[in-house]
Amino acid sequence: MSRPSAARKAPKGEYIETDSGNKVWRKANISGAPNITLGGRTVIREDVHLRGDLHRLSTTKEDGSKSSSSHSISIGRCSVVAAGCVIKPPCRVSRGVLTYYPMKIGDNVFIGPNSTIQSASISSHVHIGEHCVLQPFSMVRENVKILPHTIVPANMVIPSNSVVGGRPARIIGEVGEGWGAAGGASAAGGAGTGGESWVEGGDLRELVRSIR
Amino acid sequence: MAQVFPYTYYSCPCVESSSTKPNAVQSAPQEAAPFLEDEEENTFDPRSPRANFSLYPIEHLLYCTDCHQIRCPRCMVEEVVCWYCPNCLFEVPSSTVRSDGNRCTRNCYNCPICTSILSISSLEKPTEGLTPNDAASDAAKAPGGPYFLSCPFCQWSSLEIGIQFEKHFNLTSQLQKIIRGDTHRLGSVTDLASPRGEEMEGEIQGRASVASVEDTAPLPIQGDTETLFTNLYNFYRAQLSELSDANPYSLSSDYSFASPSSITRLMNLYGSGGRTKKDRPKPIREAAEFSEGQKVSNPLSEKENIDRIRSVGWEGTASVEQRLQQCREDVGFVDELRPLATLLRTKKSKRCKICRQILSRPESKVSTNRYKIKLLALNNIPKITMRSLNAQPAQHPSFPMQATAPGSDEASTLKPLVPTHFLLTITNPLFDSIKVTLATPSTTPGCVKSKVTILCPQFDVGANTDVWDEALSSATDRSSKRQSQMLSAGPDGGSLTGIQAEAGKVWERGRNWTSIVVEVAPGSLPDSIGHVTLGDDAQGDGGAALDEDEDVLEIPIFVRLEYETEAGGDDGGAAHARKEDAGKEKREEAFWAVLGVGRIAG
Repeated sequence: MSRPSAARKAPKGEYIETDSGNKVWRKANISGAPNITLGGRTVIREDVHLRGDLHRLSTTKEDGSKSSSSHSISIGRCSVVAAGCVIKPPCRVSRGVLTYYPMKIGDNVFIGPNSTIQSASISSHVHIGEHCVLQPFSMVRENVKILPHTIVPANMVIPSNSVVGGRPARIIGEVGEGWGAAGGASAAGGAGTGGESWVEGGDLRELVRSIR
Repeated sequence: MAQVFPYTYYSCPCVESSSTKPNAVQSAPQEAAPFLEDEEENTFDPRSPRANFSLYPIEHLLYCTDCHQIRCPRCMVEEVVCWYCPNCLFEVPSSTVRSDGNRCTRNCYNCPICTSILSISSLEKPTEGLTPNDAASDAAKAPGGPYFLSCPFCQWSSLEIGIQFEKHFNLTSQLQKIIRGDTHRLGSVTDLASPRGEEMEGEIQGRASVASVEDTAPLPIQGDTETLFTNLYNFYRAQLSELSDANPYSLSSDYSFASPSSITRLMNLYGSGGRTKKDRPKPIREAAEFSEGQKVSNPLSEKENIDRIRSVGWEGTASVEQRLQQCREDVGFVDELRPLATLLRTKKSKRCKICRQILSRPESKVSTNRYKIKLLALNNIPKITMRSLNAQPAQHPSFPMQATAPGSDEASTLKPLVPTHFLLTITNPLFDSIKVTLATPSTTPGCVKSKVTILCPQFDVGANTDVWDEALSSATDRSSKRQSQMLSAGPDGGSLTGIQAEAGKVWERGRNWTSIVVEVAPGSLPDSIGHVTLGDDAQGDGGAALDEDEDVLEIPIFVRLEYETEAGGDDGGAAHARKEDAGKEKREEAFWAVLGVGRIAG
């Protein structure tokens, strides 16, 4: 008895499912799609803005070599971007020009609803609560929990295994050693259990599967 | 942070051994005392002040495979594996930590106002009319100094306190130099800060005038904290060395009574005829002058402070948190706050306090997240999850897909005196099937008495075998009929007539998990009777009579497991494990857990 998620109420076909299993809400606002990479089995919910159009402009150097990749957002596997998020590559004035820098989001990352992400990188197994703001060039390392309504200031580096919260974000604790471990509720068995097999920071494959 | 319902906290057995029998741990640490108390029918009270220190979510708990017990942060010993700066992620050798303190000595600084990380910027104006081609030129590549620190969050900048740097690296030594010079004469800073904006000039003049007041006032010499500290440190060192000259056995470097030198000294003192004829050593005195590190409080500076508060107002004074973060104690005003070097963090390995076994040991490199050893409670004790049987929450509590309006969380709000069914799922991480016995007090402790009935307190949970076993074998015990009925009954659960929970029967069962039904009749809040108000108002009223979170329904539950396993050959858990047949061993485990179900509506 899997939990009927909010998605179930919606009629079928709300998502576009790609060959690699990405589920992208049809009405998600995605601009600059060629500059966005989704790693597979990644879910983009409704009203998410993916600003792939904000990428580094191609600059030709004097020696003629093109020094740019127009890549802007890459999201790993089994990550979930909940409704209303804005994912926008960070930018700053570098050498007198406003330059956008590519953003990388790892695997099994959950981004709660209505968050604004401008990080330089988010590593794997990160859980971000709702209404968070990650300001430009913040870096989130592996196994981090960001509590809801947190503002991570620009340039902040959140080290691995920490819990952050507050405005501005401070490291307020450590996630336990068991962060992300499902504890016997293994993937295939968990599909029909009363309890869900996914946990914060753990493998989100089942969560992705349950979203239809 | 609002609590997310439902939750399960596990109680570490160490709380009982230390609360009721304080000597039990010291006298016989190998004996597992906690279970004795359970036989005396002491039920666990999640609301007792002590319970705070033993309840943990399961991912924070480790499991000692020698003692066969849960280990919480209270009954583990931590050892630092390495020190690192959380900002630049550089590892700091422990010798440096010992000599320079636990702060980053590179370029990491926190804002003294809001604690976020400061960034280094150049004061130099960016070159005008840049095109990308111009930008490639050398002049634009590295913006020249002077540099300053600025906070991206609260817009504080080090220019506000008149600090700027000539180089963008090695800030620590530059800052130290500036601060040293700053204490007596501000001239050096003003000299250093010649090419700055006009408003900064005015600022500095303001500060210089303050400094001149300081200079003209007939104060005794006030050194900065570091000088004071070194003076005091040297003074105490001298005192101690004098003392140890007088008595060769006395305090040399270590003060503990367990050290051999202390023992010989004691033996000399109390032994027969071992008494030396030396004079009694001079008693240790306190510092008496500035060169010895004494700091005299100055009534004049108090008056000056009061005048300053008058002029700068409330905004100009530093808050308690800001003052506590500073390394100096005499900071009272915002413009005296200095950037804070980032505190280092550690990677720690953990040992069992009783048998010293390593419970978790991370790899020593900062960049890796792997563990060499990790004995999780998650892999050794069953996981207990709870959820409502009828009302399905709209979304997963920790994975919300859509933003929730505040107060719309009706799934975790319980109606008083209405019996509600909850599904309790026990998941077995062990490779042997377990026999579970659950027990709970029939009414919950606390001033809101709720009735709790476990409909099936004794059941088996299958082993955590290979996932494919279940998939391949068709003979699973899953009651899929019941499941389909549940779904057809609808999420509101209005017509659950055909699938009443039966006492003594398991609700649903899977490969390594079993679900049972728990009936809960939440008690009524004392104040809400007779009031016909909206839920929020009643809660507000009840808040006056009730303690904080008294309306949260928490069910203490005692879990006891029995299982047979391969004899591991370790005798650590001899109290619980008695040898059966050759190779098989019967094991028993028991612990308290607390299930947070929800808030009772008023």
